[in-house]
Amino acid sequence: MAKKGDLILEMNKVQKRFGGAVALRGTDLKIRAGEIHALLGENGAGKSTMLKILAGVHINDGGTIKLGNKDFMTGSPQASIEQGIAVIYQEPSLFLDLSLAENVFIGRQPKKGKIIDWKFAQSEAARLFKELGVELDPKRQARGLSIADQQVVEIAKALSMNANIILMDEPTAALSASEVERLMTVMKSLKASNKAVIFVSHRLDEVFAISDYITVMRDGATVSEASVGDTNLQKVIKDMVGRELTEMFPKTDNKIGSVVLEVNDLTNPAYFRNISFNVKKGEIVALAGLVGAGRSEVARAIFGVDKYESGLVKVNGVPLPAGSPVEAMARKIALVPEDRRQQGLFMIAGVNRNISMESFAQLIDRGLINFKRERALTNTWREKLSIKFNNQADPVDRLSGGNQQKTVLAKWLATDPDLFIVDEPTRGIDVATKAEVHRLLNQAASEGKAVLMISSELPEVLGMADRIIVMREGRQVAEFSRKEATQEKIIAAATTGVKSA
Amino acid sequence: MNLLNKLKLSSREASLGIILLISIGVTGLINPRFLTGDGTRDLLTSTSVVALLAIGITPVVVMRHIDLSIASTVGLTAWLIADMCAKNPDFTWVQCFVVGPIIGTLVGVVNGVLVAWLRLPALVVTLGTLYIVRGLAYVISNSVDYNAQEMPPSLIEGLGQKVYFGLLPFTFLLVIISMIVIAYFMKYAKSGRDAYAIGSNPPAADLVGLKVTSRTFLAFVFSGAMAGLAGVFYLMRFAQVDSTAFYGQELAVVAACVIGGVSIFGGTGTVVGAVIGALLVQTIQGGLAALGVDAFWKSAINGLLLIIAIYADRVLAVRNEKQLLRQRIKERI
Ligand SMILES: Nc1ncnc2c1ncn2[C@@H]1O[C@H](COP(=O)(O)OP(=O)(O)OP(=O)(O)O)[C@@H](O)[C@H]1O
Ligand SMILES: [Mg+2]
Repeated sequence: MAKKGDLILEMNKVQKRFGGAVALRGTDLKIRAGEIHALLGENGAGKSTMLKILAGVHINDGGTIKLGNKDFMTGSPQASIEQGIAVIYQEPSLFLDLSLAENVFIGRQPKKGKIIDWKFAQSEAARLFKELGVELDPKRQARGLSIADQQVVEIAKALSMNANIILMDEPTAALSASEVERLMTVMKSLKASNKAVIFVSHRLDEVFAISDYITVMRDGATVSEASVGDTNLQKVIKDMVGRELTEMFPKTDNKIGSVVLEVNDLTNPAYFRNISFNVKKGEIVALAGLVGAGRSEVARAIFGVDKYESGLVKVNGVPLPAGSPVEAMARKIALVPEDRRQQGLFMIAGVNRNISMESFAQLIDRGLINFKRERALTNTWREKLSIKFNNQADPVDRLSGGNQQKTVLAKWLATDPDLFIVDEPTRGIDVATKAEVHRLLNQAASEGKAVLMISSELPEVLGMADRIIVMREGRQVAEFSRKEATQEKIIAAATTGVKSA
Repeated sequence: MNLLNKLKLSSREASLGIILLISIGVTGLINPRFLTGDGTRDLLTSTSVVALLAIGITPVVVMRHIDLSIASTVGLTAWLIADMCAKNPDFTWVQCFVVGPIIGTLVGVVNGVLVAWLRLPALVVTLGTLYIVRGLAYVISNSVDYNAQEMPPSLIEGLGQKVYFGLLPFTFLLVIISMIVIAYFMKYAKSGRDAYAIGSNPPAADLVGLKVTSRTFLAFVFSGAMAGLAGVFYLMRFAQVDSTAFYGQELAVVAACVIGGVSIFGGTGTVVGAVIGALLVQTIQGGLAALGVDAFWKSAINGLLLIIAIYADRVLAVRNEKQLLRQRIKERI
């Protein structure tokens, strides 16, 4: 077993191309035992590709990889597992039909003689969950678990493999503050037991809070590597983006106009009760709260994707019929959903088709689709959001995670709506583009549009919103004006349901 | 109960079992003979072939694939065995039970190579082999049929007529044995669990390093071998064969699986469910026959049953999902 501080992984000039596209052009990474190492870079910089090479999913075309003083055996996920590398992927990869115990031990089930010892598997899984501070029922099916709990299962899996190196690709992207805290505790205890954790994140405050080392990548190459004490936020951002970033939250004071969206006593007993609020022209209203508080469900009900039991939604003073997204779109409402892979994108269709999907009216020319306009539209948004792809017709599932997010955002921004409902608009998006998304939302508001934003990132909520409504367990528990709001107040309301003074 | 627990039969199989008992009861009311030893024997004999095939394709379906070539394989195997026995009068049931699965295995290997290694869609591959194998049967048979006289008495009158306790035919005993073995295997062997994982989330199965290719290959080989054995069962039941034997019956097998709770979307279902599904279809058919319902309606009602089963699954899935969600909300508090 390596001692703390021993070099246990060394990647040198690693290269990887996909067909004609170069994903990695020469990346270096050094990892020591007992350290938490952040891997940063813009969307499409090659972070996930790096991790997938270590995971055995991809094989590098060039460069060397050493584990301690041995050569790393590339080639298969099985080989990586055997070499003590465990991975928690950017896309959730649990088996929803199987029990949690089974998910933890899949492929490595404990055996008694020739048959699987289910009792032992269950008690082991229960022990690991307890160790991680979340007492999930190991016999329970994985279907229906929150993203945070899915991660707990994945981490339990990594622990059960007794891995030395644990890779986490954007583990915090879908978590709320308290869940992030819990994950950080776990990461620290892994570190204490002398394991190395490599994690990718676009939330830089977190990165500085927890990591020991930071490696920054740009365009498939390593640009800097430093211990956290030797660097700072500005420098890291500059390394990532290649320039200084002026402002994260370019908030302007807009003229607030008439009410655009009015929600009255909206109730769907399974998810939320008695929700009432409004959003005015020029205003950005944020729905804050823990993941699972029912915010996304409210958004989906307003837009008509889900039904609600009672209550009323009015848009510009006119009632909006329930359960009809078509009607909602006709009334110029747009919803950027939370689960983009499933609800927002056609993964095998091209980037251009995805971006133009809801804006057909703009593209029609004498009854036919004008592909030149489609190309122009795609290019406009490619530049505005710096979406990285090779070819306009590339299927979306070949883009990096963050670039997929940008594609959905572009699709809805392109429709030019009056009311813009965005659910976690910057999840998985890099700093520079985050600032750009904020600027675009803000610009929309200043043009007299209404914006309803759901976000679990408190700095984003505080930086962007004119008003903040906090939800907890399906109920509206507090409302703060921009002036009143502080991080502590929101957390208190979201966790205890009490609005403190 | 302990055995039920051991095989981890979910409430899905239990409720199916109850529905089966009810339909047996109702059919018995219409036709009291149905409840006698003879009636039971007839039901089990006529279900054996489909039930055996349903066991055979369950692992394939659990892995989110399908095998449509089985009915053609039954036909070809049955004809080839009859032909072999006609040409070798000294052959007994032993040779039949050895050769049948071998022929089926060959078809399974072809399917397995195409689906597992070349990663072609199973629906298309096995539709292709469905036609190819049936075509082979036409060509090889050259319109020759065989009857009981040309087949080994030890197979037709011996095992084919053998009944235990006055109600359990030999073929169905084999069905029960294979059901128990496979159920146990799918619950307690690593490769059995891998099948559920692969069907539940195929890309993730690759990521955790499961041997997706070889497992998929073996599932198709197994399905083929069981179809070969079912070819022997076919001879035992009908004692005659021509090149159109068992034509078009693959969908009846798929229907039995689906009714028995083996999801065509992969990841769930057991061989026990599949066998109960096969019995249920056969019982309802028996009931309808007793009522004098004509053949067209029988097949329409079969279709209806299938749709009801899928609908029930859907309702259960939605309820299950809601319940899991509630549990999750409760866990948070
Ligand atoms: N399977 C693939 N086929 C083709 N191109 C790919 C494939 N996987 C990744 N790429 C390309 O490689 C580049 C790097 O992608 P990668 O997923 O590593 O980015 P990333 O740094 O993880 O970004 P993000 O922060 O958005 O997750 C991207 O330009 C992407 O389009
Ligand atoms: Mg990534």
